[in-house]
Amino acid sequence: MQKVKTADSTSLVSQNVRIEGEIQGPENLHVEGYIKGAVALSGNIFVGNTGIVEADLEAKSIIIQGEVTGNVKAHQQLEIHPSGKLIGDCTAGSIDIKEGAVFEGRSMMIKKREASAMPHLQTSKGSGKHHQTKEKTKP
Amino acid sequence: MPLFGKKDKKKENPAQQVKTVLSQNETSYFGKNLIIKGRVSGNGDIIILGGLEGEFDLRGRVKIAQPAKIKGEVKADVISVNGNVEGKLAAKQRLHLDQTARIEGEISTPRLSITEGASFNGEVTMSGRVTKESGAAAVGAKPAHQKEGAPEPRQK
Repeated sequence: MQKVKTADSTSLVSQNVRIEGEIQGPENLHVEGYIKGAVALSGNIFVGNTGIVEADLEAKSIIIQGEVTGNVKAHQQLEIHPSGKLIGDCTAGSIDIKEGAVFEGRSMMIKKREASAMPHLQTSKGSGKHHQTKEKTKP
Repeated sequence: MPLFGKKDKKKENPAQQVKTVLSQNETSYFGKNLIIKGRVSGNGDIIILGGLEGEFDLRGRVKIAQPAKIKGEVKADVISVNGNVEGKLAAKQRLHLDQTARIEGEISTPRLSITEGASFNGEVTMSGRVTKESGAAAVGAKPAHQKEGAPEPRQK
Protein backbone atom coordinates (compact mmCIF):
# COMPACT_ATOMS: atom_id res chain seq x y z
CA MET A 1 0.00 0.00 0.00
CA GLN A 2 2.32 2.69 -1.14
CA LYS A 3 1.26 6.25 -1.45
CA VAL A 4 0.27 7.20 -4.96
CA LYS A 5 -0.18 10.72 -6.17
CA THR A 6 -3.04 10.04 -8.49
CA ALA A 7 -6.38 9.15 -7.03
CA ASP A 8 -6.73 5.43 -7.26
CA SER A 9 -9.64 4.82 -4.96
CA THR A 10 -13.11 6.21 -4.78
CA SER A 11 -14.72 7.13 -1.53
CA LEU A 12 -18.46 6.95 -1.20
CA VAL A 13 -20.74 9.06 0.92
CA SER A 14 -24.00 7.19 0.79
CA GLN A 15 -27.45 8.64 0.94
CA ASN A 16 -28.11 8.80 4.65
CA VAL A 17 -24.74 10.11 5.61
CA ARG A 18 -23.91 13.74 6.35
CA ILE A 19 -20.48 15.26 6.52
CA GLU A 20 -19.98 18.72 7.87
CA GLY A 21 -16.46 20.01 7.56
CA GLU A 22 -13.47 19.84 5.32
CA ILE A 23 -12.57 16.99 3.05
CA GLN A 24 -9.29 16.73 1.23
CA GLY A 25 -6.77 14.33 -0.24
CA PRO A 26 -5.89 12.51 -3.43
CA GLU A 27 -9.13 10.58 -3.81
CA ASN A 28 -12.16 10.32 -5.99
CA LEU A 29 -15.38 11.09 -4.21
CA HIS A 30 -18.87 9.88 -4.97
CA VAL A 31 -21.54 11.75 -3.08
CA GLU A 32 -25.06 10.45 -2.65
CA GLY A 33 -25.47 11.97 0.78
CA TYR A 34 -25.02 15.45 2.16
CA ILE A 35 -21.84 17.45 2.44
CA LYS A 36 -21.43 20.86 3.95
CA GLY A 37 -18.16 22.73 4.14
CA ALA A 38 -15.33 22.45 1.69
CA VAL A 39 -14.00 19.68 -0.50
CA ALA A 40 -10.60 19.86 -2.17
CA LEU A 41 -9.43 16.73 -3.90
CA SER A 42 -6.92 15.95 -6.60
CA GLY A 43 -9.24 13.27 -7.96
CA ASN A 44 -12.71 13.56 -9.38
CA ILE A 45 -15.94 14.43 -7.66
CA PHE A 46 -19.21 12.84 -8.68
CA VAL A 47 -22.36 14.19 -7.11
CA GLY A 48 -25.05 11.59 -7.71
CA ASN A 49 -28.78 12.07 -8.06
CA THR A 50 -29.43 12.06 -4.35
CA GLY A 51 -26.34 14.02 -3.50
CA ILE A 52 -26.69 17.44 -1.93
CA VAL A 53 -23.59 19.53 -1.52
CA GLU A 54 -23.41 22.89 0.17
CA ALA A 55 -19.73 23.39 -0.15
CA ASP A 56 -16.98 24.79 -2.27
CA LEU A 57 -15.62 22.05 -4.47
CA GLU A 58 -12.25 21.72 -6.06
CA ALA A 59 -11.16 18.71 -8.06
CA LYS A 60 -9.77 17.49 -11.34
CA SER A 61 -13.14 16.83 -12.90
CA ILE A 62 -16.56 17.32 -11.40
CA ILE A 63 -19.79 15.68 -12.49
CA ILE A 64 -23.03 16.97 -11.04
CA GLN A 65 -26.26 15.01 -11.12
CA GLY A 66 -27.55 16.23 -7.80
CA GLU A 67 -27.56 19.63 -6.19
CA VAL A 68 -24.55 21.76 -5.54
CA THR A 69 -24.60 25.13 -3.81
CA GLY A 70 -21.21 26.74 -3.67
CA ASN A 71 -18.29 27.65 -5.82
CA VAL A 72 -16.90 24.94 -7.99
CA LYS A 73 -13.47 24.62 -9.49
CA ALA A 74 -12.69 21.82 -11.90
CA HIS A 75 -9.16 21.85 -13.24
CA GLN A 76 -10.21 19.75 -16.19
CA GLN A 77 -13.90 19.38 -16.78
CA LEU A 78 -17.17 20.33 -15.19
CA GLU A 79 -20.21 18.39 -16.26
CA ILE A 80 -23.75 19.18 -15.21
CA HIS A 81 -26.27 16.52 -16.11
CA PRO A 82 -29.97 17.17 -16.82
CA SER A 83 -30.88 16.33 -13.25
CA GLY A 84 -28.04 18.46 -11.91
CA LYS A 85 -28.24 21.83 -10.29
CA LEU A 86 -25.40 24.22 -9.62
CA ILE A 87 -25.94 27.43 -7.70
CA GLY A 88 -22.65 29.23 -7.53
CA ASP A 89 -19.71 30.27 -9.59
CA CYS A 90 -17.74 27.79 -11.56
CA THR A 91 -14.18 27.78 -12.79
CA ALA A 92 -13.26 25.03 -15.19
CA GLY A 93 -10.98 23.96 -17.96
CA SER A 94 -14.00 23.00 -19.98
CA ILE A 95 -17.68 22.85 -19.21
CA ASP A 96 -20.40 20.58 -20.41
CA ILE A 97 -23.89 21.56 -19.37
CA LYS A 98 -26.63 19.27 -20.57
CA GLU A 99 -30.07 20.45 -21.54
CA GLY A 100 -32.30 20.57 -18.49
CA ALA A 101 -29.51 21.31 -16.07
CA VAL A 102 -29.79 24.31 -13.77
CA PHE A 103 -26.87 26.67 -13.42
CA GLU A 104 -27.03 30.01 -11.70
CA GLY A 105 -23.80 31.86 -11.31
CA ARG A 106 -20.72 33.06 -13.07
CA SER A 107 -18.47 30.97 -15.17
CA MET A 108 -14.77 31.36 -15.73
CA MET A 109 -12.58 29.26 -17.91
CA ILE A 110 -9.11 28.14 -17.05
CA LYS A 111 -6.87 28.75 -20.00
CA LYS A 112 -4.46 25.97 -20.55
CA ARG A 113 -1.48 27.98 -21.68
CA GLU A 114 -1.93 31.66 -21.41
CA ALA A 115 -3.55 31.78 -18.02
CA SER A 116 -0.73 33.81 -16.60
CA ALA A 117 0.23 35.58 -19.82
CA MET A 118 -3.20 37.10 -20.29
CA PRO A 119 -4.53 37.83 -16.89
CA HIS A 120 -7.32 40.02 -18.25
CA LEU A 121 -9.10 36.88 -19.39
CA GLN A 122 -9.66 35.88 -15.84
CA THR A 123 -11.74 38.94 -15.18
CA SER A 124 -14.35 38.20 -17.83
CA LYS A 125 -17.71 37.70 -16.28
CA GLY A 126 -20.82 36.00 -17.49
CA SER A 127 -23.89 37.43 -15.83
CA GLY A 128 -26.23 34.57 -15.28
CA LYS A 129 -25.31 32.77 -18.44
CA HIS A 130 -22.46 30.44 -18.81
CA HIS A 131 -19.75 30.82 -21.38
CA GLN A 132 -19.44 28.40 -24.15
CA THR A 133 -16.73 25.89 -23.81
CA LYS A 134 -15.05 27.24 -26.86
CA GLU A 135 -14.73 30.77 -25.55
CA LYS A 136 -11.92 32.49 -27.35
CA THR A 137 -10.35 35.88 -27.44
CA LYS A 138 -10.29 38.07 -30.46
CA PRO A 139 -7.40 37.35 -32.73
CA MET B 1 -36.24 19.87 -34.05
CA PRO B 2 -36.12 17.13 -31.52
CA LEU B 3 -39.33 15.33 -30.75
CA PHE B 4 -40.64 15.44 -27.24
CA GLY B 5 -40.61 11.71 -26.89
CA LYS B 6 -37.03 11.54 -27.86
CA LYS B 7 -36.03 14.10 -25.33
CA ASP B 8 -37.75 12.26 -22.49
CA LYS B 9 -36.01 9.10 -23.39
CA LYS B 10 -32.69 10.79 -23.20
CA LYS B 11 -33.39 12.43 -19.89
CA GLU B 12 -32.18 9.67 -17.64
CA ASN B 13 -29.62 7.11 -18.35
CA PRO B 14 -31.13 3.93 -16.92
CA ALA B 15 -27.76 2.57 -15.98
CA GLN B 16 -27.14 5.58 -13.81
CA GLN B 17 -30.50 5.22 -12.11
CA VAL B 18 -29.74 1.67 -11.19
CA LYS B 19 -26.41 2.74 -9.83
CA THR B 20 -28.06 5.32 -7.63
CA VAL B 21 -30.61 2.90 -6.27
CA LEU B 22 -27.85 0.52 -5.38
CA SER B 23 -25.78 3.08 -3.67
CA GLN B 24 -28.60 4.17 -1.38
CA ASN B 25 -28.00 1.26 0.91
CA GLU B 26 -24.38 0.89 0.22
CA THR B 27 -21.77 1.18 2.86
CA SER B 28 -20.06 4.52 2.84
CA TYR B 29 -16.41 4.18 2.20
CA PHE B 30 -13.75 6.72 3.04
CA GLY B 31 -10.58 5.75 1.24
CA LYS B 32 -7.13 5.85 2.69
CA ASN B 33 -6.20 9.12 1.06
CA LEU B 34 -9.21 11.01 2.26
CA ILE B 35 -8.85 13.41 5.14
CA ILE B 36 -12.00 14.65 6.81
CA LYS B 37 -12.11 17.40 9.35
CA GLY B 38 -15.47 17.91 10.92
CA ARG B 39 -18.52 15.93 11.72
CA VAL B 40 -19.92 12.86 10.08
CA SER B 41 -23.44 11.84 10.97
CA GLY B 42 -26.39 9.90 9.68
CA ASN B 43 -27.62 6.37 9.22
CA GLY B 44 -25.77 3.55 7.61
CA ASP B 45 -22.56 1.68 7.71
CA ILE B 46 -19.17 3.23 7.19
CA ILE B 47 -15.75 1.84 6.48
CA ILE B 48 -12.99 4.33 7.04
CA LEU B 49 -9.41 3.91 5.92
CA GLY B 50 -8.39 7.52 5.89
CA GLY B 51 -8.04 10.26 8.44
CA LEU B 52 -10.75 11.86 10.48
CA GLU B 53 -10.39 14.71 12.84
CA GLY B 54 -13.65 15.40 14.54
CA GLU B 55 -16.73 13.45 15.32
CA PHE B 56 -18.57 10.43 14.03
CA ASP B 57 -22.15 10.20 15.16
CA LEU B 58 -23.77 7.35 13.39
CA ARG B 59 -26.60 4.92 13.61
CA GLY B 60 -25.07 1.90 12.05
CA ARG B 61 -21.81 0.05 11.98
CA VAL B 62 -18.46 1.73 11.78
CA LYS B 63 -15.37 -0.10 10.78
CA ILE B 64 -12.11 1.68 11.36
CA ALA B 65 -9.72 -0.19 9.11
CA GLN B 66 -5.96 -0.40 9.30
CA PRO B 67 -4.45 2.74 7.83
CA ALA B 68 -7.14 4.91 9.40
CA LYS B 69 -6.21 7.58 11.90
CA ILE B 70 -8.94 9.10 13.96
CA LYS B 71 -8.72 11.92 16.39
CA GLY B 72 -11.91 12.69 18.17
CA GLU B 73 -15.08 10.96 19.08
CA VAL B 74 -16.78 8.01 17.46
CA LYS B 75 -20.34 7.08 18.34
CA ALA B 76 -22.14 4.26 16.59
CA ASP B 77 -24.18 1.14 17.16
CA VAL B 78 -21.37 -1.24 16.40
CA ILE B 79 -17.72 -0.28 16.17
CA SER B 80 -14.91 -2.45 14.94
CA VAL B 81 -11.39 -1.12 15.06
CA ASN B 82 -8.26 -2.12 13.19
CA GLY B 83 -6.74 1.32 12.93
CA ASN B 84 -5.58 4.10 15.20
CA VAL B 85 -7.90 6.07 17.39
CA GLU B 86 -7.13 8.87 19.74
CA GLY B 87 -10.19 9.92 21.65
CA LYS B 88 -13.50 8.48 22.64
CA LEU B 89 -15.24 5.43 21.30
CA ALA B 90 -18.83 4.89 22.25
CA ALA B 91 -20.76 1.90 20.92
CA LYS B 92 -24.41 1.38 21.68
CA GLN B 93 -24.30 -2.33 21.01
CA ARG B 94 -20.82 -3.71 20.82
CA LEU B 95 -17.23 -2.86 20.18
CA HIS B 96 -14.41 -4.95 18.89
CA LEU B 97 -10.72 -4.16 18.88
CA ASP B 98 -8.81 -6.25 16.40
CA GLN B 99 -5.14 -7.22 16.38
CA THR B 100 -3.84 -4.11 14.73
CA ALA B 101 -5.97 -1.63 16.66
CA ARG B 102 -4.24 1.11 18.59
CA ILE B 103 -6.46 3.05 20.90
CA GLU B 104 -5.68 5.87 23.19
CA GLY B 105 -8.62 7.16 25.10
CA GLU B 106 -11.96 6.17 26.46
CA ILE B 107 -14.24 3.35 25.46
CA SER B 108 -17.82 2.91 26.46
CA THR B 109 -19.83 -0.05 25.32
CA PRO B 110 -22.15 -2.72 26.72
CA ARG B 111 -20.20 -5.54 25.04
CA LEU B 112 -16.50 -5.50 24.38
CA SER B 113 -14.05 -7.84 22.71
CA ILE B 114 -10.35 -7.34 22.25
CA THR B 115 -8.15 -9.54 20.12
CA GLU B 116 -4.63 -10.37 21.19
CA GLY B 117 -2.25 -7.88 19.70
CA ALA B 118 -4.48 -4.86 20.07
CA SER B 119 -3.05 -1.93 21.94
CA PHE B 120 -5.29 -0.01 24.25
CA ASN B 121 -4.32 2.73 26.62
CA GLY B 122 -7.23 4.19 28.43
CA GLU B 123 -10.39 3.59 30.26
CA VAL B 124 -13.40 1.38 29.67
CA THR B 125 -16.90 2.05 30.84
CA MET B 126 -19.25 -0.82 30.35
CA SER B 127 -22.67 0.67 30.50
CA GLY B 128 -24.72 -1.75 32.56
CA ARG B 129 -27.90 -1.03 30.76
CA VAL B 130 -27.75 -3.55 27.99
CA THR B 131 -31.02 -2.34 26.63
CA LYS B 132 -33.61 -4.27 24.67
CA GLU B 133 -32.25 -2.53 21.65
CA SER B 134 -28.80 -3.95 22.01
CA GLY B 135 -30.09 -7.37 23.03
CA ALA B 136 -32.31 -7.60 20.00
CA ALA B 137 -29.64 -6.26 17.77
CA ALA B 138 -27.13 -8.76 19.04
CA VAL B 139 -29.44 -11.54 17.97
CA GLY B 140 -30.26 -10.01 14.64
CA ALA B 141 -26.77 -8.83 14.00
CA LYS B 142 -24.35 -10.38 11.60
CA PRO B 143 -23.40 -13.94 12.43
CA ALA B 144 -21.34 -13.07 15.45
CA HIS B 145 -17.93 -11.57 15.44
CA GLN B 146 -15.12 -12.88 13.46
CA LYS B 147 -13.39 -15.48 15.48
CA GLU B 148 -10.89 -14.07 17.81
CA GLY B 149 -7.51 -13.77 16.21
CA ALA B 150 -8.81 -14.10 12.69
CA PRO B 151 -8.30 -10.76 11.02
CA GLU B 152 -11.27 -9.45 9.13
CA PRO B 153 -11.27 -10.30 5.46
CA ARG B 154 -11.76 -6.80 4.15
CA GLN B 155 -8.26 -5.83 5.19
CA LYS B 156 -5.82 -4.26 2.77
